[in-house]
Amino acid sequence: MIVVFITLLVICEMVAYVATTPRPQEQFLQLYVLGASHMAADYYPNGDTDIGIGEPVTWYLGVTDNMGTVQLISIRVKIGNQTIRPPDDQQGLGSPAPVVTEFMRVLQENETFEIPFVWSVSDAVSVAGSTRILTLQINNDTYQIQDWSARDGYNFRLIFELWTWQTDANGFQLGWTASGEHRVAWLQVWFNMTSPRPTLG
Amino acid sequence: MPRTQTKLAIAVGLAMLALIAIQPLTVTSQTIGALEPRFGETIVALHRAESAGATSSEIGELVVLLNNALALNVEALKLNAPSDAPGRIELLAQVDQILTTVTNQAAELTAVAAQRTFTNKVLAYVGGAITAVLGTIAYAFLTSFYQRYRVKRTFEMRVTRKRVSSLLRTGEH
Repeated sequence: MIVVFITLLVICEMVAYVATTPRPQEQFLQLYVLGASHMAADYYPNGDTDIGIGEPVTWYLGVTDNMGTVQLISIRVKIGNQTIRPPDDQQGLGSPAPVVTEFMRVLQENETFEIPFVWSVSDAVSVAGSTRILTLQINNDTYQIQDWSARDGYNFRLIFELWTWQTDANGFQLGWTASGEHRVAWLQVWFNMTSPRPTLG
Repeated sequence: MPRTQTKLAIAVGLAMLALIAIQPLTVTSQTIGALEPRFGETIVALHRAESAGATSSEIGELVVLLNNALALNVEALKLNAPSDAPGRIELLAQVDQILTTVTNQAAELTAVAAQRTFTNKVLAYVGGAITAVLGTIAYAFLTSFYQRYRVKRTFEMRVTRKRVSSLLRTGEH
């Protein structure tokens, strides 16, 4: 009878342990940019990568938290050209391209944060064969861009970096750390701006 | 002695005035960057509550408050003009208030959730032990019932003669 009791006790306590212990899960964050049709397509108006001044471009920007905990995230939007260094996955360093704006949000476990990202180049000029973007409009806010140009207006890009708040470092870092490994999430979408204003002034 | 008391009262009054006067200046100096550590502290408080076993709906209420604080923070960032200073101060004060509220509520939630988790664990393990005891009693009861049934069946048996004709027909005998 004691053997029966001990066997039952072990089984029941194992069930109690499994029921009260949270299961480990893979920890990750997901960053995405969708086109105007809310799919991974139609990123440019009329399928043309050449964006005109004042031409609105609609994307959807989203982050999903699968870290199992609350996360303070920041999506940093940067503007770059062909030569600027992209984020460094190995070193966990962001691109040196200038930050245009950032979207901060506190996310719960399994929560998805998605916002429409409607942008346009509101002013750009041609200076000595280069196109210089002066102002960008993002979701009805205007941002001044300092000295950012691309040869003949080709190969500009918007870079989206996912930064998370690190409680131990007490600051934001590019990507996140899960199970001792550092992971990075960033995206970039290229575009051209070949029809700026003719001259500065 | 009365003169000393008057001086002391004046000093205390001046100190209080200075404190009241400094308060808005402290809020003004809190830029977005300066508020980041405050947000970080609240995140730590929320992590503690989660580790203690707070449910997602309980955490969700605080997350909504934090996101409101972030939105106010963004609004405050947009008020750059000197004439917007009072509005910015007010918004930052609201952000500060929300962060304090969230931190305090998260601390309360941590205590409640920890207590609840502990109770649930104790109940689960005690429940396991009680189930094991009940299972053993049921096993003992069933075993004794089965044995009594077998004994009863044995005593109810009757000795009857076997029919041999069928066996002879098949040639097995």
